[in-house]
Amino acid sequence: MSEHTKQPHDMGGEAGGPIDTVDHGMKFWERQANALRNTLSRSKIVRLDEMRRAAEDLGARYYELEYFERTTHALRTVLLEKGYFTETELAAKMAEVRKRYDDA
Amino acid sequence: MSHDHSHDKAHDEGPPSEYEIMSRAMQELLVAKGVISAEQIRSRMEKFEQDFPYRGARVIAHAWADAAFKQRLLEDGKAACSEFGLDLEADRLIAVENTPQVHNVIVCTLCSCYPRALLGMPPTWYKSENYRRRVVREPRAVLKEFGTEIPDNVTVRVHDSNADMRYVVVPMRPKGTEGWSEQELAEIITRDTLVGVTLSKA
Amino acid sequence: MTTPSAYTDAPTRRFSVGDRVVVKVSFPPGHRRTPHYIRGKRGVIERVCGAFPNPEELAYGFSGEPKRVLYRVRFKQLEVWPDYAGPDADWLELEIYEHWLEQA
Repeated sequence: MSEHTKQPHDMGGEAGGPIDTVDHGMKFWERQANALRNTLSRSKIVRLDEMRRAAEDLGARYYELEYFERTTHALRTVLLEKGYFTETELAAKMAEVRKRYDDA
Repeated sequence: MSHDHSHDKAHDEGPPSEYEIMSRAMQELLVAKGVISAEQIRSRMEKFEQDFPYRGARVIAHAWADAAFKQRLLEDGKAACSEFGLDLEADRLIAVENTPQVHNVIVCTLCSCYPRALLGMPPTWYKSENYRRRVVREPRAVLKEFGTEIPDNVTVRVHDSNADMRYVVVPMRPKGTEGWSEQELAEIITRDTLVGVTLSKA
Repeated sequence: MTTPSAYTDAPTRRFSVGDRVVVKVSFPPGHRRTPHYIRGKRGVIERVCGAFPNPEELAYGFSGEPKRVLYRVRFKQLEVWPDYAGPDADWLELEIYEHWLEQA
């Protein structure tokens, strides 16, 4: 059976280590990120399938990111594809948000 | 209802990560462009914190108390929840019943599909790589890590929610709960029993 | 164990509850909801879930129409993992789209 097309997310059955069985909950920004994703999918602005695909396309980088980092990355990909904002606009807004945190 | 929120942070400490900034920036751009409103975000956060996490236990308590409702829940999870007054939104629910012969456990190996409108957000272990890798292949060993031992004469059924359905486990009602009200029953139903990694106890 | 009734009605379908099926061995690139570990494995239709837009198309912004029939398929763990370290009676159940299934 060919293994060459298996992507990192398709991990069922792979060997793995012990499970951290404690629920570490969610940070505030993660809860807000979840609400953002949920609002957008409920309004059908993005589809869950598109976001899954964008996360899967991380390929080798899949394991470098944590769960909410992956979903945020995926959302960015899909929103850019659909033209809701440009990379330039996003970079500018991120700089503004960063400055706000730094100044606080 | 047993649901511990103490691990959710009210405020984040330390400098924000790149992705936190990215998420916040995307949200603000979309609000500024009128695509979504800040109120929508706030309202969804509230639903996920104050509503969804408490629903599962109430539904299962009702199923324990009412055998005919349990049957309807097993046949069509979403319709039964709707009958119970709960809109599961996008979740198409399949309820699977634990019996003395069968123990059920749920996973999403491909991402982290979970009946969020019934149980709230999935725990970090459910989304973890090691759970997603191992529970389909060695469920009994994984369950032991949660302190759950299933005897060999009980069948373990693992459900990988890999497509459009979402799953909840209907645990066995523990002995010693005869005559309890639904509210009392709901208080002993923990989230982990509804995913199938632990067993209900009174 | 009782056989569950059809979850939602599917317009036309190839398989019924109890049919023996095998998951196709194929490795198409892109977004698929059929994990690698189940491809080529034999199981039994446990229920008909209904007909849904194809996620493989939704992921790329297409409508996913016409809908595809989705089944829950029950596999013996020993069929999926030859070295499975548990009782013969243990099962693994997944949702598989009709176009990934063939008669066994």
